[in-house]
Amino acid sequence: MIEILTVGALTTVQDLGRLGALRWGVGTAGAMDPMALAAGNLLLGNERGSAAIEVQVYPFRVRFTHDGAFAVTGADCAATLDGLPVLPWSAHRVRAGQELAFSVPQAGGRWRASRAYLCLPGGVDVPEVLHSRSTQLRGAFGGFEGRPLRRGDVLRSAASGAEFIASDIGLLPPALAMPLERDGCTAIRALPAAEYGRFTSASCVGFWRNEWKVTPHSDRYGFRLAGEALQRAAPMEMRSHGIVPGVVQVPPDGQPIVQMRDAQPSGGYPKFATVIEADLWRLGQAPIGSRVRFIETTWDEALAAQAELEAWLVEAERLVGLHRNSRGTA
Amino acid sequence: MTDPTLDWTQQISGWLAGTDIELLELRGPGTRLRLKRNGSIRSNGSDDTVQNGTAAGSSAQVVRAGSVGVLLHAHPLRREPLVRPGDAVRAGQALALLQLGAVLLAVAAPRDGVVKRLLAAHGSTVGYGTPLVELE
Amino acid sequence: MMTEEPVFSLLGTSAGLFEAPGHLMTLPTQQRIWSLAKVAQAWPEVREAVPGMNNLMLSFKTPPRRVDELEQRLLQAWREVSPLELGGRLIELPVTYGGDAGPHMADVVAHTGLSVDEIVELHIAPVYPVYALGSHPGYCYLGGMDARIATPRRKVPVLSIPGGAVSIGGSQTGVSASTGPSGWNTIGSSPMEFFHPDRDPPVLLQHGDSIRFRVERIIR
Repeated sequence: MIEILTVGALTTVQDLGRLGALRWGVGTAGAMDPMALAAGNLLLGNERGSAAIEVQVYPFRVRFTHDGAFAVTGADCAATLDGLPVLPWSAHRVRAGQELAFSVPQAGGRWRASRAYLCLPGGVDVPEVLHSRSTQLRGAFGGFEGRPLRRGDVLRSAASGAEFIASDIGLLPPALAMPLERDGCTAIRALPAAEYGRFTSASCVGFWRNEWKVTPHSDRYGFRLAGEALQRAAPMEMRSHGIVPGVVQVPPDGQPIVQMRDAQPSGGYPKFATVIEADLWRLGQAPIGSRVRFIETTWDEALAAQAELEAWLVEAERLVGLHRNSRGTA
Repeated sequence: MTDPTLDWTQQISGWLAGTDIELLELRGPGTRLRLKRNGSIRSNGSDDTVQNGTAAGSSAQVVRAGSVGVLLHAHPLRREPLVRPGDAVRAGQALALLQLGAVLLAVAAPRDGVVKRLLAAHGSTVGYGTPLVELE
Repeated sequence: MMTEEPVFSLLGTSAGLFEAPGHLMTLPTQQRIWSLAKVAQAWPEVREAVPGMNNLMLSFKTPPRRVDELEQRLLQAWREVSPLELGGRLIELPVTYGGDAGPHMADVVAHTGLSVDEIVELHIAPVYPVYALGSHPGYCYLGGMDARIATPRRKVPVLSIPGGAVSIGGSQTGVSASTGPSGWNTIGSSPMEFFHPDRDPPVLLQHGDSIRFRVERIIR
């Protein structure tokens, strides 16, 4: 059990997303960095997709009201427990009364990221709605009472954490285990979408060649990118159609908007490309003000990337299980 | 149990704090004492090269690897090492990390103490029992 | 995108999009899209077959190994399906038009050159088939609005309009199912609940159902 002491805007309970409800106009929601969420769960011995807390505004402080355990993953937010440092991407026992704090991720580390995850034993205990514990902000259901967390909220964990064995185990973040960069920028693989051929050839070249800046108008709904405008070869009139997170829409001003986890499940703007599902976590962690580059990929490469993530998770789970009783010291 | 050397060096540290001297180093035959302004005390009873893994001071302890792995002085996400020689550490505090594939095992201090030196290089592959950190 | 042939494209590795041919969006085409959705929903790689406006999105349970094979299967099915009948339910929505309930009624008046009463009369006349759900939970894309009251989407979207807002965007009309931003012109308000997560199904209306608007009140 935890009590929220300090919390910023749009801190929400998320899991790996709500699937199967597009037919009712319900998008997936879910963690912006599903790899971090899954890793935190694995460190605690949870199911990968157990619900956790996603933090994107700092500081964030909670008090544990009962003995238990927790894991912290995602952005390195200089986490402290009762003021003492907690290593990133690790899990720990905790005693009633202890306070866990996250601070603004600093720029000087080896991975610029923006979102941190707090995982609890068994996952955050909130009701499942339409087969998911993710927060659906538009429509206000799911997660914790269908809304972002507020000071004073008390959240339960589905398990007590009594079975958690302190093992000083951490995980090497996927950003370091499977890096993807081009010219010093986080790189994101994408596949061309339906209207790709309706843009000028200069735009098609430029999209892959140029840097794109993540503007302050970037959040769980979508990332607005700034760069050399993408120009249509001819006017386009679109009908509303289904979309998914990762779709790169191009409004009339030519500045792309990448739809993210809380995006509407349908849209009417031309689609230039779609970020592959395997790289959405990379983009989801890109801080405001950072620059990204896109890499044109193929269907087979995209499937291979998906398989690589799955292999990392399987291996992480295996190794954590193997070392659960180990320490680094003899 | 008091260590007269420690008492004496703490007194000098106190005096140093009132000056703008950052570092005071005293050398003698087989002895070197370095006092830093921020209060951490570095003391070597011998030269920096490791002879046999033990050092002067009856409370010294060698922390050994509990597994094979690659020894890391810093968390991979960070540039700062976890500890430096001279740092005071608490029981349970991570002194270093052992990497095995995706997993990082913390090398934890068995008790409160002061880091004397790191005995294995960052990035080196170590085996079970390899001496890693010397604590005072 | 409108062509003479249907077009299939990828939405990354998560989904595929089938677009029916033709420059005009029509109800018979939409009825065939509903049939196609029924067929594709049964395929092993498909999690959901979600109709849009004369198009169909297939979200993948697992991405198919061979995209071209799926595309061929889809094109073949399109050639074979016949329009699904509009059966479904007809729901009547009471609407308060104008005033605070319809903050953009004046813009529709200005664009169309019609009076509030004329606009309301044209808005309540048709039976609107529900073509598709999307946009937000429970939201229905409706067909059949009279072209005379068509009004372009607003240049600057409104940050927040309440659930129940009855709006016109281009040649379409719709009712918002929950509070959220909108670029459409809100002409009225209806108290109907379109979505509740605890109900089974959670939506009031699905594709194939129909809506009529009824005047509750006109505020001039």
